[in-house]
Amino acid sequence: MNHYEEAQKLLGKVLGSLGLDDELSRRQFLKLSGFSIIGITALGPGLAKGSAKPLIIMEQAEGIVLADPTRCVGCRRCELACTEFNDGKAQPSISRIKVNRNINFGPKGLYTGRDSLGNWGNGLIIQDLCKQCPHPVPCANACPNDAIVVKPPLNARVVDPDRCVGCKMCQKACPWEMLSFDSEKNKATKCFLCDGKPKCVEACPASALTYASWQDLTEKVPPRAVPTAVLPPAKAAACIDCHKK
Amino acid sequence: MSDRHDISLQTKETIIDVIAESIRRKSQAGQLASENEIFQELLNRDILKGDREESQRLFKEALEETLNRYEDLEKLPDRGEGPRFYSSQFMTQSYTRILLQKETDLLLLIAEVVRENSAVYPRPVSLDLFGDSPFNLSQDQLQGYLQQMAKEEGYRDIKQTTTSAGNVFLYSSLHLEPDYASMLAEWFDVGQFNNP
Amino acid sequence: MAKHGGWAGKVLRIDLSTGRISSEDTVEKYKDVLGGTGLGYKVLWEEVAPGTKPFDPANKIVFGTGPLAGTGAPCNGRTAITTLWPTCWPKPLVASGHMGGQFAAELKYAGYDGIIIEGKADRPVYVSIMDKKVEIKDARHLWGQGIRRTTVELSQQFGPEVCVAAIGQAGENLIPMSVVMNAYSHSAGGVGAVMGSKNLKAIAVHGTGSVTIAGKKEEWEKLVKLHLSLLGANNQHVVPSSPQPWAEYYSPGSRWKGSRGNKWGASEPAIDTGICDPHDLNTIAYRTNNAAFYLGDIAWKYTVRGNGCTGCPIRCHTMIKVPSVAAKYGISEVGMNTCGGLNFGRSFFRKFPDGARGMTSMEACMVGMHMSDDYGLWCNYSQLQRDFLKLYETGIIKNKLGEKEFNSYSWDKYEKSDPSFLFELLPRIALKQGELATALGLGTGYMLETWSLSEEEWKKDNRLSYWKMGHPKHHASEEVGQCGVIINTQYNRDPQCHSHCNFTRNGLPLELQKRLAAETWGTQDAIDALGSYTPMNIGKARMAKWSLIRKELHDSLSLCNWMGPWVASPLKERGYRGDDSMESMLYSVATGDPKSREELDRVGERIFLLHRALTIRDMGTKEMSTQHDTVPEWVYNDQEKRPAYTKGTTHLGRDDVKLAMGMFYEEMGWDKTTGAPRAETYRRLGLAKVAEELGKKGLLG
Repeated sequence: MNHYEEAQKLLGKVLGSLGLDDELSRRQFLKLSGFSIIGITALGPGLAKGSAKPLIIMEQAEGIVLADPTRCVGCRRCELACTEFNDGKAQPSISRIKVNRNINFGPKGLYTGRDSLGNWGNGLIIQDLCKQCPHPVPCANACPNDAIVVKPPLNARVVDPDRCVGCKMCQKACPWEMLSFDSEKNKATKCFLCDGKPKCVEACPASALTYASWQDLTEKVPPRAVPTAVLPPAKAAACIDCHKK
Repeated sequence: MSDRHDISLQTKETIIDVIAESIRRKSQAGQLASENEIFQELLNRDILKGDREESQRLFKEALEETLNRYEDLEKLPDRGEGPRFYSSQFMTQSYTRILLQKETDLLLLIAEVVRENSAVYPRPVSLDLFGDSPFNLSQDQLQGYLQQMAKEEGYRDIKQTTTSAGNVFLYSSLHLEPDYASMLAEWFDVGQFNNP
Repeated sequence: MAKHGGWAGKVLRIDLSTGRISSEDTVEKYKDVLGGTGLGYKVLWEEVAPGTKPFDPANKIVFGTGPLAGTGAPCNGRTAITTLWPTCWPKPLVASGHMGGQFAAELKYAGYDGIIIEGKADRPVYVSIMDKKVEIKDARHLWGQGIRRTTVELSQQFGPEVCVAAIGQAGENLIPMSVVMNAYSHSAGGVGAVMGSKNLKAIAVHGTGSVTIAGKKEEWEKLVKLHLSLLGANNQHVVPSSPQPWAEYYSPGSRWKGSRGNKWGASEPAIDTGICDPHDLNTIAYRTNNAAFYLGDIAWKYTVRGNGCTGCPIRCHTMIKVPSVAAKYGISEVGMNTCGGLNFGRSFFRKFPDGARGMTSMEACMVGMHMSDDYGLWCNYSQLQRDFLKLYETGIIKNKLGEKEFNSYSWDKYEKSDPSFLFELLPRIALKQGELATALGLGTGYMLETWSLSEEEWKKDNRLSYWKMGHPKHHASEEVGQCGVIINTQYNRDPQCHSHCNFTRNGLPLELQKRLAAETWGTQDAIDALGSYTPMNIGKARMAKWSLIRKELHDSLSLCNWMGPWVASPLKERGYRGDDSMESMLYSVATGDPKSREELDRVGERIFLLHRALTIRDMGTKEMSTQHDTVPEWVYNDQEKRPAYTKGTTHLGRDDVKLAMGMFYEEMGWDKTTGAPRAETYRRLGLAKVAEELGKKGLLG
């Protein structure tokens, strides 16, 4: 079998179980990425010749952190644990679990009266968490340097700091704005599940967070932003390659 | 012969696990475990079956072994209703005393709580305390016991004091003078809230 | 970039007169006083001349955080605000307010350890600090608006993560009884009018930077977890409030209210607070419910959840939802606060038709918070309300007000304890409308003076809780005997010190208390059982010294003095011991500047001594014992004229108190008669220059 046929066989299995052979969702993703169909087709031949394969994450994550907003007491200890115990500094603005942006007024961010969320509304604080997206992984696919990888055995989607060039494209790709950028190091960073013992879960004094088996929340949680990332051409070509059949 | 022996060992280990888990679970929930309850649970879960006498024997053996094996599992003296068990990991001795006494002699329980509070902290005890967990006495029940106490020689030391907010506190005159008790009651009922 | 861990590295200096914004190196200039109150006292000592008045442009107001603020150290979200105090009577002196909430953390992340505000703007302004970008901006559109609207409008402008510390109309109108507030419910009393006098409406701050932890992250994690494991509930109460399976002891005085069967009833769906075993660090937030503690068990039904300062797991503010108040009073059904703030409204009333723990009392709290936290009114540890009650019940209000003004109040509503009466009173105080409102807004000292009332009368009535200089007692002889008296003599407002009473009220039996006291202060005689007081001894002097030093240390490190120190813990396996070196361990690992407990306590002592020096200098006398460290008459009186130290009494003997003060002075290295620190004491604590200056004025002990 050549590499193309191999890939097709593997993909057939995976796509079948993910239900991602749907035309609409492929086209949607391309549209959102702002890439033209013509452009991709033009690059197709390059890939078929067997040149360097861009990294497209296929594996599913094994775990995910889940949050209960009705228990959140707005203490930010999750953000502090995430950064202090992982990065050695307290910098909640780059925390990989994001709560502060919702604490005062809720995810919509403006005070719209008592019916808004947050401390100034009805009290509910939404904790934003990385969904460890299934394929296609928006942040990983947007990375021009394949710096977002999976780390077995949990297959959390992790930023490899050695490969990250600090372009911030991943931040623009995430519909839930979950990527952090450490400007002191000039590197992106994101939730990596702390190797199976998430610090945030351990730190929460209100039992508002749990670590669970992975489930797909990508279609259940409304996006915060419209992603404006550009899909690197090589990756786009790989998408077409796999999905063409 | 060896087959039966193996199965029996397996069953015994399972029984031990269930006994330990059951005692701990109940302790965490604020309850003492009894032999009957645990035995019944094992029957309900089909872990013990068949010959009643044989099951009883196996259960007693397993129970003994469980208590020996785990440091936190304790047996309380039999007060006539069979022994009780608790896990010191989840329940303190002082709490077990309350639960045990509750089963046998409520009058004495009230008095002991009042005496202990009066001696140890020291402070009087609000009547409200006995309406809450783990005492859960109704107003009527409580009044009944207080009236009984007033008549009996052994409870002469149990006295009452009323705060400026109109709430009744009990104290033992063995440990607290009346002035002292009423001052403390006033502090806990009114004073401490005026000094946030 | 911070040279040390902990500190952000810069102290901001903003001159509102000239518009000049500059900064100083925190570690270079202020490391020896840490931050917080230390920073405040140092600035006032060096830069504000004696004789300056609170509303003079020459007065400065110093917002200080400490090296631990913004870290994961539990209970660190505090900002101390130091200035010349408007309600300090008869002569304004240095004092501090203390504000929790989000401000301290945001300031640290923006890159600043403190802000020194000087001068006076020529028109209403606010200061915005967005990371390194600091600006003075026009606040004319905000002037006249309440704290709530100010916060919301600045959030619309700077984003939802901005923290806004604002004054309300009370501060604007230079009402001494005013606050600055951030994060909805977190106020610092007494300083609102100083900001108002500078035309400073608010400080809006947001930071995306970091606070470095000098030590290894694994070491820090271990230390933070140790600290968490030793925490009790609010005020470091270490036993539950009623018998629990996991507990050997319990206390009705404990704020550890959470337990199985008690629910956050207004959460949707309701949440049972659960077992709250002290080993479970994921349920710390369920232990404390101050609404239930103060307002009774009915408050559980109305509790949405806990709330509080950044980084603190305790959540001592309770968010309550009381639907009835919306229809009845036209106010929001959601409110939140703690202690004095929570009780603001109901403290005006002597009693309620349905009791102290009924619905009317709760509604009064809701109405009170709604106005006090928006107008920015201060209660002066509820002295405002106690004064009001006394003035009303003795007929003074009726005497002092003209008929017209008197009749403009619905006294019939007040007599019925109708919470709607507060709508007539509170706005008037904030807006300075009428004689009553104006007098109340001055603070007790100036109110007494204005109305020619006798301070001696106020000092005799123990119901008033008045102490001296226009302020009340705060955890004094009524609960901690001589130690409490000493503490209450030391400040220029109520002492805001909880080191001592956190311990004495922690709920442990006397024997354990005494054992811990022996380990901490050298003798079990350092504490007495409540109401079973004994004469003064050296242990009590040591405990008083420790209490004061730790209070200043907490206010300078940014640790909450309502939660520490941590002498006791809820852990039976530790013999209920906490760790009295918690502060020094946290400091050492966070900053990379290793200090033992004793070494850090010396820094605390230095800070406290600076406060003493400032007070002496600005009073212009060294006769502190007779002129400043005074004790009100009620401390010596017993309603039933029983002798002091009789069981069941909390009054003290005159001679014994004198002895207590003398012993304390000696412990501190101060002159035994005058209470003025000696030169060598200043020098020993690194304040040689201070000693020199005071020496020139003949103010040394």
